[in-house]
Amino acid sequence: MDQRLLGLFIVFAPLSLLSFGGGQAIVADIQNQTVNVHGYLTNQEFADLFAVSRAAPGPSTLIAALIGYQVAGFFGALVSCLAIYVPSSLLVYGISSWWQRHKISPLKRAIERGLAPVAVGLIFAGALAVLRAANVGPLEIATLMICAALFYLTKVGPYLVVLSVAAIYFVIHFIFM
Amino acid sequence: MALEKPEQPADGLKSLEPPATRVPLSHVFWSFLKIGGSAFGGSTQALIHRETVERRRWLDEQAFLAGFALSQVLPGANPVNLALYIGLKVRGGLGATVAVVAMIIPAFAIIMLMGFAYRQLSGMPVTHFVLGGVAAAGVGATLSVGMKVVAKLPRRWTPFLVGIVVFVTVGLLRWPMVPVVLVAVPLSIFAAYWNGREARN
Repeated sequence: MDQRLLGLFIVFAPLSLLSFGGGQAIVADIQNQTVNVHGYLTNQEFADLFAVSRAAPGPSTLIAALIGYQVAGFFGALVSCLAIYVPSSLLVYGISSWWQRHKISPLKRAIERGLAPVAVGLIFAGALAVLRAANVGPLEIATLMICAALFYLTKVGPYLVVLSVAAIYFVIHFIFM
Repeated sequence: MALEKPEQPADGLKSLEPPATRVPLSHVFWSFLKIGGSAFGGSTQALIHRETVERRRWLDEQAFLAGFALSQVLPGANPVNLALYIGLKVRGGLGATVAVVAMIIPAFAIIMLMGFAYRQLSGMPVTHFVLGGVAAAGVGATLSVGMKVVAKLPRRWTPFLVGIVVFVTVGLLRWPMVPVVLVAVPLSIFAAYWNGREARN
């Protein structure tokens, strides 16, 4: 049990500092570490928990707390939650005070611009990691493409989409399976 | 006697002294607890703006926007970072801690309930089927975020090269993320700095 709490901390604390834009950038490594490296979860469980975290309110980084709960109960959730928030918060705290003391400089602008391409690569890697973990058939691919188009082209709220998808799948399951 | 406004630096970020009257920590706590509890979807930053700038007047528009930009660039959940920035501004380190904790408590409680529900229902096939659909929708949302960031990248080859290399190494080859990012971030910042210098000259 203690071993698992420590393991969760070791998985999530470094990822905290890489969670640019929130949880989406680190999903690929969370999947790799919790499923492939440590064997805390099966691919099915990981894909399910990713879905649950997307259906929940609040920041997407809370997928860490959800995985912690599944792996080691309430204390697992607590440890994972601290591990995912404390390092990044300390960094934000430090940089906020550094930032106040310096005016907009070319270096600051370069930091802003330089982080974006790395985040893009990580975000797409995260999408791929979830697709690998989940059982993806034609229905899921269609759902994915329709939702991506909806979110890209319209301002529709994510909860309306998630709830609609859940309702439609629920109905499909009882009609066709 | 006219009240003289303290000189406002162009940056908007230098004005990080606490406001004239000391904001009680309980106000910081309740404001962010309320925001954390009603934060469904991407509207969190709008809620924070309404509460801290319009209602409580803890900071002005310029300082809010500076904090907003910073919270987006840095790692961590963006709304949590913004709460930290504002807590820091009104009550220093203690205010920052209170703001972050208050933001996380409601979402943490809800996700615990959902994790519990998942444990109870994970024996049923319908659970996995429905969650498969929700995961697909979630991946769709992730892709749309990625596409929006791509659309804003400068039209140069270096940012695209960096994005592709990171995707291939972490996504396809499953290299560990930490070393990849530790190499990619300094190179990418250097390239952006170089490109910026060329543009200025």
